[in-house]
Amino acid sequence: MSNLLELEDITKDYHTKLGEVKAIKNINLNIKKGEIISIVGPSGCGKSTLLSIISGLDNDYKGKVKKNKDLKIAYMLQSDALLPWLTIYDNAILGLKIKKNLTEEAQKYVDYLFDFYKLSEFKESYPKNLSGGMKQRVALIRTLSLKPDLLLLDEPFSALDQQSRLLISDDVYKIVKSEHKTVILITHNIEEAISFSDRVVVLSKRPSIIKNIVNIDFKNQESIYERRKDTNYHKYFDLIWKDLDINEC
Amino acid sequence: MSAEQKKFLKDIKIKKVKVIIAQILLLSIFLLLWEFLVNKGIISAFIYSSPSRIIKTIIELIKNHNFFIHIYVTLKEVFISFVLGISLGFIIALILFEFKFLAKVLDPFLTMLNSLPKVALGPLIIIICGANIKSVILMALLINLIVNIITIYNGFTGVDEYILKLFKSLGASKWQILTKLVIPSSYQTIITSFKLCISLTLIGVIMGEFLVSKEGIGYLIVYGKQVFNLNYVMTGIILLSIISYILYRLIIILENKLLKHL
Ligand SMILES: Nc1ncnc2c1ncn2[C@@H]1O[C@H](COP(=O)(O)OP(=O)(O)O)[C@@H](O)[C@H]1O
Ligand SMILES: [Mg+2]
Repeated sequence: MSNLLELEDITKDYHTKLGEVKAIKNINLNIKKGEIISIVGPSGCGKSTLLSIISGLDNDYKGKVKKNKDLKIAYMLQSDALLPWLTIYDNAILGLKIKKNLTEEAQKYVDYLFDFYKLSEFKESYPKNLSGGMKQRVALIRTLSLKPDLLLLDEPFSALDQQSRLLISDDVYKIVKSEHKTVILITHNIEEAISFSDRVVVLSKRPSIIKNIVNIDFKNQESIYERRKDTNYHKYFDLIWKDLDINEC
Repeated sequence: MSAEQKKFLKDIKIKKVKVIIAQILLLSIFLLLWEFLVNKGIISAFIYSSPSRIIKTIIELIKNHNFFIHIYVTLKEVFISFVLGISLGFIIALILFEFKFLAKVLDPFLTMLNSLPKVALGPLIIIICGANIKSVILMALLINLIVNIITIYNGFTGVDEYILKLFKSLGASKWQILTKLVIPSSYQTIITSFKLCISLTLIGVIMGEFLVSKEGIGYLIVYGKQVFNLNYVMTGIILLSIISYILYRLIIILENKLLKHL
């Protein structure tokens, strides 16, 4: 399989007491190894649902998710989901502990990431003493410590202020690029989608179908800041904006 | 440290001291007024006793060797009922959490039991357990257990959905979710149930002692009423106020220790 992940005709309906919610409909998408994909779409259109299906958390859907059996997937969510009663370090190694995979090598890698993100001096602190951006970095370390092949990012920066948001999304961008990870990022920020990814998938309002897929091609890919300076940046913005169902969902 | 910071910290301290002084003052005024009104015969010494009479009563009780026994017995009953109430509450809440079907089935019965006035069960309890400490503890349990179960259960079900999703995405087992997530995230609620439980336990124990006992502060109060020595009654009430305050403080200290990172 040349693709890391293939989605075939994914359809998902939720059944609730109030009735049926048709979330997504016939989604077809192939994702190559090392690709960064963003998904944008009106809120409530089924983006998180799609990630849950890809991750395997949700098995109740129609269609096919084709992926390698031992593909390592990690999730990053809107909330940093740090446990307030654990130290920063214990939070960072939580995934390794749950997976019973806390080897010396893994610990070394975690230490390296702490150094890299300049958080080493906070290892013994508790979440409440860190800023939102720092906490999201700890969540990032927790995610990366598992050495995942595929990163599922569900609006991970949306609770942060603009500055932290740019800084940490650049952090993620760089590490993902340098380690050739495959990423699916959900965001409702078009600029973030453009500056972060190789392809932007635009979903319609419910029941969601793929309205458009915009290929992003920048000359200088070094950082999200460089990408934002590209002359084509606004062209992409308009393309995506045109297809986005706003205030309709 | 800058001068401003020092001043700021000093101001905080001064405010704290002021509150404590005001509290001591309020208590002293109350006690003095009480003593004064009784001495002047404005209110009845027979019914309301007085601080000096209470002190005399306590000295007399100490001389008769049973003062500390009453306190000890009540504290023992409170301790046993509290520990049993919390442990059973925790275990039952856990069972209900693991078996949601059972929780749904039992829900109306728990509500019914919770709103039932437990004193009504007094005669039944005596017949079942006899006139001994078992009755007192059973009464206290009847009063504190249901509330414990409901509070702790709500703590278990109130787990942060994002963190739960994270655990699931990490492939955590049911056991891991329970021990690493559900129980630790309920620390706050469990402490809250400690607070509720301690006051309910005191109510239950005193009620139990009213019903059956030969010792304890509840007994002291009932005995005082029977022999028309209301000094005993007042002494009992004062002792209970002090004990419930101290127990509550102990839980607050525990709370600050356990939850200092939250
Ligand atoms: N567990 C669920 N049960 C019923 N409906 C749900 C459930 N989860 C999501 N939905 C509904 O499905 C739709 C898509 O949800 P979601 O995937 O979370 O949207 P998005 O992430 O794009 O904002 C929404 O209308 C939401 O209300
Ligand atoms: Mg969502």
